[in-house]
Amino acid sequence: MLGQLFRWRYARPLLQAPLLVVSILMILHGLFGPTLAPKNLATTLSWLHFRGVLVLVLLCAGNFFCLACPFMLVRQLARRVFKPRFTWPRALRNKWPSVVLFVLILFTYELFDLWSSPWWTAWLIVAYFLSVLVVDGFFKHASFCKFVCPIGQFNFVASTLSPFEVKIREQDVCTRCHTKDCIRGRREPVSDLVTIRGCELALFQPSKVGNMDCTFCLDCVHACPHDNIGILSRMPASELMTDPIRSGIGYFSRRKDVAALVIVFTFGALLNAFGMVSPVYAVESWLGRILHVNHEAPVLGLIFTCFLIVEPVVLLGLAAWVTRKWITRAMPGSKRGLLPLAVRYTYGLVPLGFGMWLAHYGFHFLTGLYTVIPVTQSALANLGWPLLGQPRWTLTGLPRNIVQVIEIGFLVLGFAGSLAVTYSLAEDDSPDRPLRTFLPWATVCLILWVASMWLMFQPMEMRATFMSG
Amino acid sequence: MLLKAFFGLACAAILLFAGCSRPVEPSPTIAIEHEVSPEPPRVGPATVTLRLAGAAAKPIIAARITVEADMSHAGMSPVFAEMKETEPGRYQAHLEFPMAGDWVILLHVALPDGRKLERQFDVRGVRPN
Repeated sequence: MLGQLFRWRYARPLLQAPLLVVSILMILHGLFGPTLAPKNLATTLSWLHFRGVLVLVLLCAGNFFCLACPFMLVRQLARRVFKPRFTWPRALRNKWPSVVLFVLILFTYELFDLWSSPWWTAWLIVAYFLSVLVVDGFFKHASFCKFVCPIGQFNFVASTLSPFEVKIREQDVCTRCHTKDCIRGRREPVSDLVTIRGCELALFQPSKVGNMDCTFCLDCVHACPHDNIGILSRMPASELMTDPIRSGIGYFSRRKDVAALVIVFTFGALLNAFGMVSPVYAVESWLGRILHVNHEAPVLGLIFTCFLIVEPVVLLGLAAWVTRKWITRAMPGSKRGLLPLAVRYTYGLVPLGFGMWLAHYGFHFLTGLYTVIPVTQSALANLGWPLLGQPRWTLTGLPRNIVQVIEIGFLVLGFAGSLAVTYSLAEDDSPDRPLRTFLPWATVCLILWVASMWLMFQPMEMRATFMSG
Repeated sequence: MLLKAFFGLACAAILLFAGCSRPVEPSPTIAIEHEVSPEPPRVGPATVTLRLAGAAAKPIIAARITVEADMSHAGMSPVFAEMKETEPGRYQAHLEFPMAGDWVILLHVALPDGRKLERQFDVRGVRPN
């Protein structure tokens, strides 16, 4: 039944429309509703439910948020009026712009305490809609999704661990196919006009590997005249364990920008959680004192630099250096650069990073699971329509002791996944003695896992006043 | 067609939220002084004390006041307590801050003449134990 739904040409708009309505309601409630975050749909849905459902769906299924992305529905509607004329600049056809935006979002989230402000949260959603319209209004194809969208990049990286993937059923069918509609789009025979779009993210199905850069938009599914493409199951993380050439991406091991994205994804997960525990305020106050600054931005900038640049450079650099030493000793003729080695093994950190995001977002989602009910009751009551009754503010979510066990489970799962991926890469590099190549990267994984566990057991402290004491 | 429907829906929703929300009631001349102890606040038991006064600083007696403490982050359990009048115009409630961070105290006040008031104040930086 689901297969039939996804084969239907209007499946995507059908899934996007409800999310668009919810987004509009969130914007309006954020701008005109209560100013207190726990009472507002914008903050409750954005920072609890959306993030929680997103990571759980990525873990259990795949990149279905990009499939149901409300921003893309607005873009589609706008493109009926404005046809983009330009192609995305060659110099920016990489992940660097989205890496910068990803960091910027994490930074503004902490600096402006977005989680505590319905008004800022609403404007963030508005800014997202406007960015989509501007970028995809000027530039052809899915430039926003592939090169700009920070949420999309998060989903791309996380979905490398998903159990489902958009892929071909039988290679033979593609070998015999001459029209390549999955990438070129289905065209009218005489006019050559595209009637069903091909992949806008330049992923050619027969040589596509994994979920990286795939928005699950289903364009290829609808364009394929042989019904040879579907959402099919696979082993999670399998695409991280090998390094074949990938359509639309190339080799992972040669993509420094994608590796940088993975670093922000992994170390950013720890940083984002660190922003919500008590020790961060002690660190901030101490840094503020020794730097003689009262403003939060420079102190936060320093913490971000430590987490996202210094820490990865030291940990990954050391591990790469040890690996190179051992590989050179085992195979005296081989020459491996430090950077290519670090880039190659960085992908092994994805499961750890995802485990941390799952633990963090899962915690907020599960402990605040039912809070959307009183917030919706209150929103309706304030409009003069108490259709759902008076708000029951005592409804919250699952007990913390239960959620904490689930959090530990996510972290252990992430650690095991990272060990499995790095061991697989080490086996590939040193078939004779994989354990020796694996050891430095296993140590990095262990350090990050211990740091994650330590973070999870810290007392939570949520302040919108970082530097005030 | 779809485009028009979308913009129509968006405009209708904006009008609905902007135009249909309840008008703000004029605030009666009630003075509320508040105090939270211990100072600085810490995780654990805390006492909220209020002084309610009307015109000419006359204490307001027999008001019904509910205290609601919320975190500044969505999804955390709010804490509720009923205030008791300890002396004329002076009300007190005991509650417990279960987590460190910024809290917002909401006061739901029902005055003896039937009028209702909502007030809020911040309790910033509740410290961990």
